[in-house]
Amino acid sequence: MKPFGYVAAKDSGHAVALLAEYGKGAKVLAGGTDLLADLKNSPHPPPDVMVDISRAADLKGIALTDAGLRIGALTTHTEIVDSPLIADTLPALAEAAVVIGAVQTRNLGTIGGNLMTCVPSMDSGPTLLALDAQVTILGPSGRRTIPLSELFVGPRRTSLGFAELLVEIVIPKKNVGKPSAFQKFGLRKGQALALVNAAAGFWGGDGVFAEPAIALGAVAPTVIRAPKAEAWLAGRPISEEAMAEAGRIAATEAKPITDFRASAEYRLDLIAVLVKRALAGAHARVTPNQKDLAS
Amino acid sequence: MNVTLTVNGELRSASVPPETTLLVLLREHFMLTGAKTGCDIGDCGACTVIVDGKAVNACLMLAAQADGRTVVTIEGLATREGLHPLQQVFEETGALQCGFCGPGVIMTAKALLDENPSPSTQEIRTALAGNLCRCTGYVKMIDGVHEAAKMLQSTETPALAAPQQR
Repeated sequence: MKPFGYVAAKDSGHAVALLAEYGKGAKVLAGGTDLLADLKNSPHPPPDVMVDISRAADLKGIALTDAGLRIGALTTHTEIVDSPLIADTLPALAEAAVVIGAVQTRNLGTIGGNLMTCVPSMDSGPTLLALDAQVTILGPSGRRTIPLSELFVGPRRTSLGFAELLVEIVIPKKNVGKPSAFQKFGLRKGQALALVNAAAGFWGGDGVFAEPAIALGAVAPTVIRAPKAEAWLAGRPISEEAMAEAGRIAATEAKPITDFRASAEYRLDLIAVLVKRALAGAHARVTPNQKDLAS
Repeated sequence: MNVTLTVNGELRSASVPPETTLLVLLREHFMLTGAKTGCDIGDCGACTVIVDGKAVNACLMLAAQADGRTVVTIEGLATREGLHPLQQVFEETGALQCGFCGPGVIMTAKALLDENPSPSTQEIRTALAGNLCRCTGYVKMIDGVHEAAKMLQSTETPALAAPQQR
């Protein structure tokens, strides 16, 4: 790698101070699985200073708080896969984490890094977006919270401003325990980028799709929701036919591209299939009175 | 910058430029060339080492990020009493051919067995998904991990036997 400077942040506040001090020449290093791989192949000059946040303990951890399920940005994919709390409340998050990269990269890579790299095929995005996740951002003027949807601007572009740091992801309390599921289709089972991925969730205790949510990855410049499919589903009796139709509607809401991995037409077909499967996966997690127990 | 870490049970230090990866530190500063430089971008797994109990790509971690941590490489597996069961089985059954991927495969398998002493075939396959081998087709490796798991659970294994048996 080309030479760069290095400074380790003790905690999130220290990281923001360092980012402000070093300005545009600074780059945040978390798990490094995207950043270091990119740097090795990049024709561009490296950052002046790498601000290493990987030891900032306040950025780690998974916990239930008054606001909901809080996941520190530095939480690794393996920690999400192994979390009893996530297995208990939102197993769809583990379904998404366990198909990222391979064991070695899941042990290093972080959920915050996956969001901040902001590639459209990120596997962390759809489930979080479908669950209306909020993200907390720390900057020189303090903390702010925005919906995850407002973090994503475009491929590899987020809305973070000068010296700002993603510190945590919070799934709002109303959605903790919401039956949901994640689906990914790649060219291999291991270590493959998603051709398409999808997440879906709904409350189904009354036999109808209540508060349905559908999110798609790798089919638009950012991870997106499928609001038309959601609106069509809302209040309908749960059936396989309805799940399939929601998949077909969701496909009309995406704008996939053709690249060396797959054609746009193939991706449109995949959307319909994966949305149907995600809805079925969510349905398998529906139990009576679930919503009352959650809130 | 100075980094100090425990490598195969020994405290080691080096002064390295910040862009040095853990892999370069191990291979070029500590002369531990078991972990291999393959793709160098985290796809092939040839550089796999165990850091604080977890298998990681040494090519995707800065040496600075390993400061103060405990690293185990393929060189740390064999003891005076003999090879680690994974090494022994892989050697005896021809689970490797050219051998380039071997240190990475064995370290990934060791991390798996440390956490899960009797994994299913699917669990082994999932664990090894990040270790590419262009020779073998993986079947003998997967069989070998099963076999090593059995050996580790028996007391007959030379590497684990009591020293007085020497």
